[in-house]
Amino acid sequence: MISQEPRPAGTGRLRDLSEAEFAARYGSDRFTMSVLANKMRFIVEHMCGNLLNNAFSQILRDWYDFAATISGPPGADYPMAAVSNSLAVFFGTMADGLRNAVEEFGPGALRPGDVLICNDPYRTGTHVNDVLLTRPVFRGGELVAFVSLRAHQLDMGGPVPAGFSATKRNVYETGLVISPQLLYAGDRPVRPAFNLILDNARYGSLLLPDLRTIYQNLKLGERLITEAIDRYGRGALASAIRYGCDVSAESMTAAIAALPDGTYRGETLIDADGVDASREYTVRVSIAKAGPNIEVDLSGSSPQARTSINASVLDTKTAIGVGLKYLLDPDSPFTSGTYRPIDIVLPAGTIASATPPDGAIFLYWEGANPVLAALLKALAAAVGSNAMGGDFGSTTIHSGNGVFADGTPWVTAAQCGGEHGPWSATRHGDGDSYSVNYQGNNLDPATEALESDAPVVLLRKEYVIDSAGAGYHRGGAAVLKDSLWLTDAEHWSSPLQTKRPSGFGVCGGDDGKPGAVWLFEGHGTTPGAASGLLPVDDEVYARSTPVAGLLDPATKARDPEHGQYFYFASTPIWRTAPGAIFRYITAGGGGWGDPFEREPERVRCDVRDGYISIAVAEHDYGVAISGDPENDPEGLRIDWLRTRALRDRSEGRTADGTRPSLLRLGRHSTNKGSAPGRWMNSLARGDG
Amino acid sequence: MSATGRAIIGVDVGGTFTDVVAIRDGSVQTVKVPTDAVSTELSVLHGAREVGVADAAIFNHASTHGLNAIITRRLPKVAFLTTEGHRDILDIGRCWRPLEGLTNAGWRRPFGDAARPLVPRYLRRGVRERLTATGGTLIGLDEVHARAQLAVLRRCQVQGVAICLLNAYVSGRHEQRLRELAKEELGAGIEVSISSEVSPLAKEFARASTTVIDVFMKLIYADYSERLISGLEPLGFEGELNFADCAARLVPLDVAMEHPFQVVFAGPAAGTRASAHFGALTGDDSLLCCDVGGTSTDISVVTRGDPYVSTTLELEHDLVVNALSNEVSSIGAGGGSIVSVNEFGELKVGPASAGADPGPACYGAGGTQPTVTDACLLIGIIDPDGFAGGRMLLDVDAAVKAFDRLETSLPFGARIRQAFQVGLHNIAEGITNVAIKHGLDPRDYTLMAYGAAGPMLLPAVLDLIGARDVLVPPYPGLFSALGLVSSDLVYGDSRSAYTVLTPDVADDIAAVYSEMETALRARLADDQLAVAEFVRSFDGRLLGQTWETPFIDVPSGPIDGAAVTGMLRNFHLTYGARSGNTFEDLPVQGVTYRVQVRLPADKVQYPRVAERAQGSPVSLGTRPLRYLFDDEIEAQQYGRGSLGCGDRIEGLAIIREGLSTTLILPGQVATVGAFGELRVTRKADRG
Repeated sequence: MISQEPRPAGTGRLRDLSEAEFAARYGSDRFTMSVLANKMRFIVEHMCGNLLNNAFSQILRDWYDFAATISGPPGADYPMAAVSNSLAVFFGTMADGLRNAVEEFGPGALRPGDVLICNDPYRTGTHVNDVLLTRPVFRGGELVAFVSLRAHQLDMGGPVPAGFSATKRNVYETGLVISPQLLYAGDRPVRPAFNLILDNARYGSLLLPDLRTIYQNLKLGERLITEAIDRYGRGALASAIRYGCDVSAESMTAAIAALPDGTYRGETLIDADGVDASREYTVRVSIAKAGPNIEVDLSGSSPQARTSINASVLDTKTAIGVGLKYLLDPDSPFTSGTYRPIDIVLPAGTIASATPPDGAIFLYWEGANPVLAALLKALAAAVGSNAMGGDFGSTTIHSGNGVFADGTPWVTAAQCGGEHGPWSATRHGDGDSYSVNYQGNNLDPATEALESDAPVVLLRKEYVIDSAGAGYHRGGAAVLKDSLWLTDAEHWSSPLQTKRPSGFGVCGGDDGKPGAVWLFEGHGTTPGAASGLLPVDDEVYARSTPVAGLLDPATKARDPEHGQYFYFASTPIWRTAPGAIFRYITAGGGGWGDPFEREPERVRCDVRDGYISIAVAEHDYGVAISGDPENDPEGLRIDWLRTRALRDRSEGRTADGTRPSLLRLGRHSTNKGSAPGRWMNSLARGDG
Repeated sequence: MSATGRAIIGVDVGGTFTDVVAIRDGSVQTVKVPTDAVSTELSVLHGAREVGVADAAIFNHASTHGLNAIITRRLPKVAFLTTEGHRDILDIGRCWRPLEGLTNAGWRRPFGDAARPLVPRYLRRGVRERLTATGGTLIGLDEVHARAQLAVLRRCQVQGVAICLLNAYVSGRHEQRLRELAKEELGAGIEVSISSEVSPLAKEFARASTTVIDVFMKLIYADYSERLISGLEPLGFEGELNFADCAARLVPLDVAMEHPFQVVFAGPAAGTRASAHFGALTGDDSLLCCDVGGTSTDISVVTRGDPYVSTTLELEHDLVVNALSNEVSSIGAGGGSIVSVNEFGELKVGPASAGADPGPACYGAGGTQPTVTDACLLIGIIDPDGFAGGRMLLDVDAAVKAFDRLETSLPFGARIRQAFQVGLHNIAEGITNVAIKHGLDPRDYTLMAYGAAGPMLLPAVLDLIGARDVLVPPYPGLFSALGLVSSDLVYGDSRSAYTVLTPDVADDIAAVYSEMETALRARLADDQLAVAEFVRSFDGRLLGQTWETPFIDVPSGPIDGAAVTGMLRNFHLTYGARSGNTFEDLPVQGVTYRVQVRLPADKVQYPRVAERAQGSPVSLGTRPLRYLFDDEIEAQQYGRGSLGCGDRIEGLAIIREGLSTTLILPGQVATVGAFGELRVTRKADRG
């Protein structure tokens, strides 16, 4: 069930309220409300910080794969007033997930000291490994609030260790489903519930201490809320929860009203599911904006996929809220109030709204991130210079497992594939090259932590030259990872967007280059046998086994325009002998603005720093540079006359519309120091 | 007075002012001189000349110079060498975005290539080599390749090299060899820091970042301390020169220069140390320390007499350094914070600041935007003729014009009043957040008010944060510098080695401690050894975790099986107390072993203030305060120097002294303590 936030009576904006009007609405003064709203945001941070530092499994301690929230009581319809600084995909689904879990269990059946769990994606969003744990907070015998933690458990059963796979066909393969039930009752562990998890999931020695640690942090959150109630009163807390949601709602409402009326459309393509390469999937977003109202409609999207790359309705709702925040309202806190002015139309059974048992969900973000990307595309023209291009698209997750020589099992998940990559440029500047996707916020697992846990060596983790979308501001560069496996191992690889550049450019910026995945066998794992690192030039791929991407069938190097599509699940499970290397290259981030407007000096720095080659500087940016970037990086020189000639020629391109000039789109608010066109001055001065 | 009868000197070099304190014959002399942004040692020497250092036994020094260089990126040119294939470690960081960057298309990693890298990518270079997680060689160090990379660095004329190879926390052999090659290729004078010596901890980014900061600090402070020493010599200084580290512990200069990343952020920590020391005198052991300066307010915590120490320090978001540090959180709210009006017509204060140049409009140095200081001047709290001890005359007209210029419909008086109140709320929110983060209840805490603007603003936040009371120490404008004469001398060392703790490894741990303690003993003179206090601790974790629980007690005496059992017991007790869980069945992994040698040092002794023989404090006359209340109200003014112990002053009142002004609001009362400290409480609390 997705709830629509109630719209409160009275339309006066918060800032226009007199102190008396404010007190009449909230029963409290402005300062107390802002202090309490702020306090709740800190409480969720404290719950998370403490969990991170005491967690055992790699996905929690090195990835920060969890989030905390505070919600109001059932009588107020569970408004979620505070979310932690972590994954939007988690906290975005927690307001509705919590409501669904509590309503099904029965709010009247909850007692002080209980912890309710649920992990069903169709009830609470995301996937079965993300267990939603909720603690009711009572005061004076009354249920006044909830604190929740959703934390990724390293395993939740099913055929794939750690679970990450695009090839699971139904809910029976995705792992253990836990309906709403108590994990702790009156602060005592409920043994059957623990047994249910530990009897069905792997790595129980990590799960048990993690669950106990999560429980302690729910108690910490409960204590901090109770202290706030003791100090400010129960009524003040209830009002502050309402106030926190009202602030977000008001901010989003104003932001939407400022968007030009119209209908906007965008779509994102997913290469294939895990059954075969015959079907592509499309997420279609149609946005109708009229006056204060906005409706986001996904009706034209593909039916749900046949394997576990689908998203649930809650994941899609999250993606829409996050996308609108990025474009329209980045600064206000994310709460359930964010959704008050937004209507969503979402038929059941699409790739963005899968239903059980056949609409399998595991890699839920692979269905949900395309919703966000389609929304960014749809609104690109409407938001003008605020447009945001695409990130690296698919998380292209890799998981590997095996046993050590002594027979103990090991697993690594989401550490050796394309899980981190670039973002697009925006009007503020070039894109960062290494982030999680737009809906995430995680720590990057340290290479050294990975290598001490699993028999793998990350030989390369670095940026790829000439991969970023060109622009007045350049997109982030693609990330390349080479992982060398020291023992026998089996692997699941899930690259889902290699056919199109997911890092699309905006405002005249170019697309980033699509990514690909390869397997190299027989590399050797001992000093004599290991012949150093794999080279990064295109010749190396001839001896590879392609895993995914648009590749030249002969050289197996990337060829986005004419290449043949290699399908990732042609081999559902990759079984390798010691000495295998997987190479992942993510997509590049999209550019922003016309690259021919980029100051030549900034282009020279990009060549010096190995982000672009001399050839790309000339072709994509119209800047002629000479020298040896590798061995004499400070000796590079700009040929100003040739640059002027190259750029003059490009004016013709602008005229025929193939490259809309940033200047023609209208002047955008950029920093004075980097205004487009300023390079002209240096060109006029430069004598080559 | 110092125990030896010789003077002790503390110098705190800030971005705007350099504060100098001299403790001599039982009195405290304080001097404030402007910081020379180009040659900061000149300000130090200027101050030293004013207070005299010929009779000084100890000269303790803290500086934000290094941190400022990092923040402003006015840095020497250094290179970063790492394992081939990993040059982007420094750009990646830990990948984490801050809350304000969560759904914000404008956020960039502040030290990333898309923003302001510390080392540009072309100077971050890979060297062909690879160790495994267990220290084995997967790829031997390719010296030909390494020399080729060094040749590029030579061509680029780098001044220093930071080396951090993957898995070097297990073995430093490739790093050591690479350092030799660097010296061969770049000259013996090149500064090189290697991660296996600087901070041999797992997780490459923090170690790499610490190593880079270390080589920057070597370059910045090596020259600096030479200039300092040669400047102090003609002044007759013959004592010991110490640097304060990030926890405001004093370290002899030569020791500090071995790993100077530890002194990168010394100034603010000194204020916490001063607070702890002074609080011990007045019986206040739970303190929210609040230093309100020109551009920022630094907030830190003292609980049960000890500053809260963290094992890492963030210089900017995610720019981590593995240094022990007093945790100081800084918010952009100070006397110089600029007052502006945003697009919704809301009046905002900060975080932008007018800094020292041009400074607030009333400085008359070209500032046109109004600041909190301008508001305080127009309210009447600041005396235009007596600012900074009378060294500076303030321009009231310029302040009026600056507020006139604001584009708002608010009447003039309301602008001033709101500017003052919003400034207060910003500081109050900052303090409240720190309190929550440390899980403490402000009602149990005293707010220590210092920094030039602290006494003027902090009594007014008493009710906003609900602290017990506000304490204005003596010399509030230079109180941080007093922290440098409030600390013991500390020699510390640590070693990191990942070892599962069982009685069987007692010999290994004993060897680690023995090596460190023997080296430390060798540094000490016989008279020092007699009074030296050795304190051991370790950072450990449950096997399977990757974050440590720091500062677990280690028994003194020989480390045998029983001592390791004691370490395990201490770990489980501490872990249980801090996290709420105990996991006694799980193995414990020792990570970092620490030793501290504490040498009692001469410290400041605050002169006592006599009780007033008769009568009550004499007012210097009244002064009208405008805008703050509905009507203009006359405030009594007092000179702080004329107050006696036990004096009681009711608000509304202004207490003036050389470099600061304390504002006591209606409903508040200030009482004068034995050391001249002002304790501000709510009148209602005192019955």
